[in-house]
Amino acid sequence: MGPRARLAIAGVYLALQAALVLSAERRPDRAFGFRMAAESSTVVVALSRELRAPEGATDAVVVVSVKDGEWVAHDGTGKPRRIEWRDRVHEPELATFDTAVDATAGAVATVARLQAALDDVATHTPDDTETRALLADIVVQRNGREPYAVHLRSVPR
Amino acid sequence: MTSVVQRFRSEFGDAYSLGLCRVAVAAMLFWQSLEAGHALLTEGYFGTAFHLPFIAEAFVPSPRVYALLLATRLAAATLAAVGVHPRPALAVASLLGLHALLCDRLQYRDDAYALLLLALVVSFGPCDRAWLITGAVPIQDRLAPTWAARLARLQLSILYLASGGSKLLNADWRDGVVLADRMARAAHDGRTHAIPQSVVDAITRLSISSGLSKLAIATELFLAFGLWIRRTRVVALWWGIWFHVVVEVTTHMPLLTGVALATYVLFTTPDTLARKLYFDPSRPKAVVYSRVVTLLDWLARFEVRPWTPDGKRGHTIVVTRRDGSRATGIRAFAMVCRCVPLLFPLWAPVALIASFTKGGETNPRS
Repeated sequence: MGPRARLAIAGVYLALQAALVLSAERRPDRAFGFRMAAESSTVVVALSRELRAPEGATDAVVVVSVKDGEWVAHDGTGKPRRIEWRDRVHEPELATFDTAVDATAGAVATVARLQAALDDVATHTPDDTETRALLADIVVQRNGREPYAVHLRSVPR
Repeated sequence: MTSVVQRFRSEFGDAYSLGLCRVAVAAMLFWQSLEAGHALLTEGYFGTAFHLPFIAEAFVPSPRVYALLLATRLAAATLAAVGVHPRPALAVASLLGLHALLCDRLQYRDDAYALLLLALVVSFGPCDRAWLITGAVPIQDRLAPTWAARLARLQLSILYLASGGSKLLNADWRDGVVLADRMARAAHDGRTHAIPQSVVDAITRLSISSGLSKLAIATELFLAFGLWIRRTRVVALWWGIWFHVVVEVTTHMPLLTGVALATYVLFTTPDTLARKLYFDPSRPKAVVYSRVVTLLDWLARFEVRPWTPDGKRGHTIVVTRRDGSRATGIRAFAMVCRCVPLLFPLWAPVALIASFTKGGETNPRS
């Protein structure tokens, strides 16, 4: 490799690194930004399902809480099917419910990932013909400060 | 600025330390790939479950292709570690690792990314001139362009600058809130076994954590620049090692520690066998010292030689420094600590103690 090529590769590499580091705050997980141990956050996620209300009910929908990421729903033939959140979502941080877990990627990134996970599970559970949407009630605690709530809803099914 | 550009273009040096860095990086890549293989066997392929790729879904491989790529990563890391076609092997292992990282941002970690970048940059340079299973390379054949080593060093400085700079701009970090909360939660979850309870209790107090946070920020910013300045380099290396030891104990980021230490090797002055360590072969203690130094002298700092005892009461070991001056006793030990990577963490206190002793110099230093 000639001197000019070395210089060109080094220049391009350093410019790319600078761009990635400086733009890291624009990404929810600050990826490629070397933001080591940037925050200390936890989330507590409560999962629930939005179902069509039985006939005669006053509300159009009912919300049923989901225990430990597992529920039973009827498929198209009327057979009961066990649905497990963890069949699709393997990350422990995104598959632990009703218990505080570390938001290792940061609170904002974890909430964004939970939204994506809700959408993913909602669109990858064809055996569940009852659920209209998945809901997540999240309590976020960032850097030991006062907790705040975030409500997420999956894409409609 | 002109001189920096000039060095990138045309500086040559001994590639010995780049070879050592390659071995360390390849070993970490092997371990990283092994962990990915373990995850594949125990949890299944991430690509068929919920994942968030940085790249288009079309570039996320099928399970069979992923398994093949993983096997290639393991093989390439092995070849790079032992020094068989190490440059292409390291480049392949690194690029495949980067591809896997881009396939799922849920698995993204800064330390893993830093390792893959270091591996890629090291593969740009002549890391195939030392630390080869096929045998030693004569020093004249190890002289090669140093630009890749320089780039790897810059990469570490970027990492320190980005990490320290972002903490400096974050009020919660500056004030110690993040550190105190992290420690409190780690203690609550039982992840602080290696730290005395009194230390944990102290760090969770905001008055203490605020000071420690500022020290951590100052350390990262100092390391970003101090490693480049000749006068501060050895102190920066020593302080950096202890900084990473503390980070490792409190936060457990083994890859980050490994990346930093592997890059520190590239900051050392490339002068193999520039010092001499003479030992008295008639003394068992001296023989043991000489063997320990030979075994641990990964940077090949010392030419270890026995001298012929003359019957007079002499020294167990004598170290001849780069400038030709000689040291014995604790001063010789300080010199050994300064040059031997595993003993380097002891260097500063030993050197400090040695500086208060009168003996140990067998001739005045020039």
